[in-house]
Amino acid sequence: MSADFCQRLGRRLGQRLGAAALGQADYRRQGYHLRLELAPDHLRELAAMMAEEGCYLEYITAVDRGGHLELAYVFGRHQEACRLLALAAVPKGQGVLSIAGVFPAADWQEREVFDMLGQRFIGHPNLKRILLPEDADFHPLLRDFQAGPELGGDEMEI
Amino acid sequence: MHRQALTEDTFYLNLGPQHPSTHGVLRLLLRLDGERIVECQPILGYSHRGHEHMAQNRTYLQFMPNPCRMDYLSGLMYNHAYCLALERACGLEVPARAEHLRVICAELNRISSHLLWFGAYLMDLGAFTPFLYAFDDREDILAILGLATGSRLTYSYCRFGGVRDDVGQDFLEGIRAFIPKMRARLKDYDTLVTRNVIFVNRTQGVGVISPELARAHALTGPCLRASGVGYDIRKAEPYGLYPELDFDIPVRAGGDCLDRYLVRVLEIEQSLRIIEQAMARLPGGPVKATGVPQFITPPPGLYHTSYETARGHLGIFLAADGTRVPYRLKFRVPSFGNLGILPKLLPGTLVADTIAILGSMDVVMPEIDR
Amino acid sequence: MAWLSNIPATVWEGLRAFLGPLALTMIVGLLLTLGWVQVNALFLVWLERKVAGHIQLRIGPKEVGPFGLLQTLVDGVKLLGKELITPAPVSWPLFVLSPILVFAPVLVSFVVIPFGPGTQIRDLNVGLMLIFAFGGLGVLAILMGGWASNNKYALLGAIRSVAQNVAYEIPLLLSAMSVVIMAGSLSFQAIVQAQEGLWYVFCQPVAALLYLVGATAETNRAPFDIPEAESELVAGFHTEYSGMRFALFFLAEYTNMFIVASVATALFFGGWRGPFWPGPWWFLLKVYLLIFVVIWVRWTFPRLRFDQLMNFAWKYMIPIAVLNLMVTAVVLKIVR
Repeated sequence: MSADFCQRLGRRLGQRLGAAALGQADYRRQGYHLRLELAPDHLRELAAMMAEEGCYLEYITAVDRGGHLELAYVFGRHQEACRLLALAAVPKGQGVLSIAGVFPAADWQEREVFDMLGQRFIGHPNLKRILLPEDADFHPLLRDFQAGPELGGDEMEI
Repeated sequence: MHRQALTEDTFYLNLGPQHPSTHGVLRLLLRLDGERIVECQPILGYSHRGHEHMAQNRTYLQFMPNPCRMDYLSGLMYNHAYCLALERACGLEVPARAEHLRVICAELNRISSHLLWFGAYLMDLGAFTPFLYAFDDREDILAILGLATGSRLTYSYCRFGGVRDDVGQDFLEGIRAFIPKMRARLKDYDTLVTRNVIFVNRTQGVGVISPELARAHALTGPCLRASGVGYDIRKAEPYGLYPELDFDIPVRAGGDCLDRYLVRVLEIEQSLRIIEQAMARLPGGPVKATGVPQFITPPPGLYHTSYETARGHLGIFLAADGTRVPYRLKFRVPSFGNLGILPKLLPGTLVADTIAILGSMDVVMPEIDR
Repeated sequence: MAWLSNIPATVWEGLRAFLGPLALTMIVGLLLTLGWVQVNALFLVWLERKVAGHIQLRIGPKEVGPFGLLQTLVDGVKLLGKELITPAPVSWPLFVLSPILVFAPVLVSFVVIPFGPGTQIRDLNVGLMLIFAFGGLGVLAILMGGWASNNKYALLGAIRSVAQNVAYEIPLLLSAMSVVIMAGSLSFQAIVQAQEGLWYVFCQPVAALLYLVGATAETNRAPFDIPEAESELVAGFHTEYSGMRFALFFLAEYTNMFIVASVATALFFGGWRGPFWPGPWWFLLKVYLLIFVVIWVRWTFPRLRFDQLMNFAWKYMIPIAVLNLMVTAVVLKIVR
């Protein structure tokens, strides 16, 4: 059943958003069934589609890849195991459309990504820091951020 | 904002960060009309410690003690989930005895977490005594877990490919004595609390969450299951020993505080069943896999691991770059989603309901703040 | 040596001649009351902690004094030594006055409490009215304190307190009235005398129940402790009070418990009546048994919500109390 839904979802996503970027993943090892790489412009369309399919937004996160941020949107489903990892490469400093209008859960998730990595989300109702103090002037999960001693940064022997 | 409020009929109330019922350091900025809530704005981050940043500055093994410090009530489960994440990424096999011990300890941890919630929730509703009873039971669990793990709250019992140490006879006997005692106590709780008319009046029909709303806000765990969605990672994407065990997922359809309470209380019974089964079939053999490298290095790639903690779906997202240090480690914590529904749920309720609803979500702030 | 033992009698006679018998009883009564209030509160706090402890699988205080009896005394001394913090934005005359005002009416009520056949400071013919009248003053002091504190939690607590007291005084009075029309008097001694054959709790079970529930609410005890609901309003109306001012609120609360239990004993449980022992012993025994029940309830039940509390008073207790009063009046008219 799970495989059925996943295949169907994969086909739909492929038709709408470009089949070339869609890949099956090794679930046992990687923990998700589908992996989709898409242009940031398509994120909202993807979100609308996932909402139609009855999936829920597990989380949004981002990885600092040097020149660009790799935004990762992870969708899951209650009825059967089907997890989609959608990746969008966004040059640093460029905003993407917010999906908080489609998934209310994205509200805080996007705020966290903004807080931690400085990604701006266009159309977000209340895009401000969520975990760090409002007057913080850094984004701690960017790779070039170093926590100095004033922030309690430690020097651990690796 | 505050100045503007003076000219209106409403006023602002800061509930927290120091307040008896915000369970840690949550601050709710409430706009009140009398005692009725007009608007609620949760303000987070008071216990942000930067765990995800710490992860990028130490090896996988050095990060081991951190996850259990996020959700200090589900410490062992976080620890288990973290090990699971790396075992999957590296393809490590775990010996059968270790899998059994992990499940036993994780379920004990789940019961202790639910018990603490049970006591604290009744305390929120103004009943002091159940708190002490729940802590009495919880004390038994902490003592038993202490025998196996050496700690009482922030356990680092699991290791990549197994558990730290084998357990002794005292651990097994402690559990055998604990299970009937807990069952008897559950009966007491049922008569003393669940059927108490004041308790039912305070919780029934309060803070109702529809299944659609629950999905939109990414609720998981008992909060979701109280809204009629039987989604539990232990069944949906089984890990460890769970596929081989026989247990039910309690689901209630009402979506109110009472159902969230009932789901958790019923889960205690299911956890006892799981422990019994795992105890009955506990095999011998080693508790650690052989050949685990000193510095564990997952191959480059993106990995996700799901885990069902006492509060819901814990997701661990790992971006590995082939070194012994995580490139990016993200924790999708269940309370984050569960708390996010609060601004939607609170308007129109009374201050007393706020406490009842917030308590019924069972949030752990250090988990949200990380 | 005989003249030495006569001194107390001589002094007594002298004072009696100088002040007149009435004033003397009043002074002695006041001194005794002041002493009794302290001892009673010390004992009740100890009892509460001990009972709560045993209900909660603990043993409660045990270190200071035998069975921990002196624990409350030590706590009281600690409170006396604490700094009286007056936050800057409070309106201080009201803030300072409130704890005193909450305590004063409680003292006055002792005048009419019938400990025994002759053991009463003054048997007024409006004794019952006096207690309810002064009991109603306490809520004013609470409102003052909550308002003057300039704290939102304190204000919410004070508002809740006023609403609750207004609502619960009505059934309280109505149920007491049922007894009054049976006894035909507002004097406590007359009411106790009238219960010679049968305690009123047996003729008036509904009124007794209403009175006990109303009294629990009137003294802000759980499950009706919403004015100081700690998990909602931190400490309610006394959030900003510290040291001895806080202790006065505390003292008033426990003395109030004693007073409402005394009234209940006199109205429904035959007052000082009982075999073998002298009246005051029976009276105190009954009072403390009632208080024990109230403590027991507190440590067993969760707290009601504010609107449920008000609904309960206005939709159930008051109509039932009115009905009960009417039935009592009609039945009495027919029987007599």
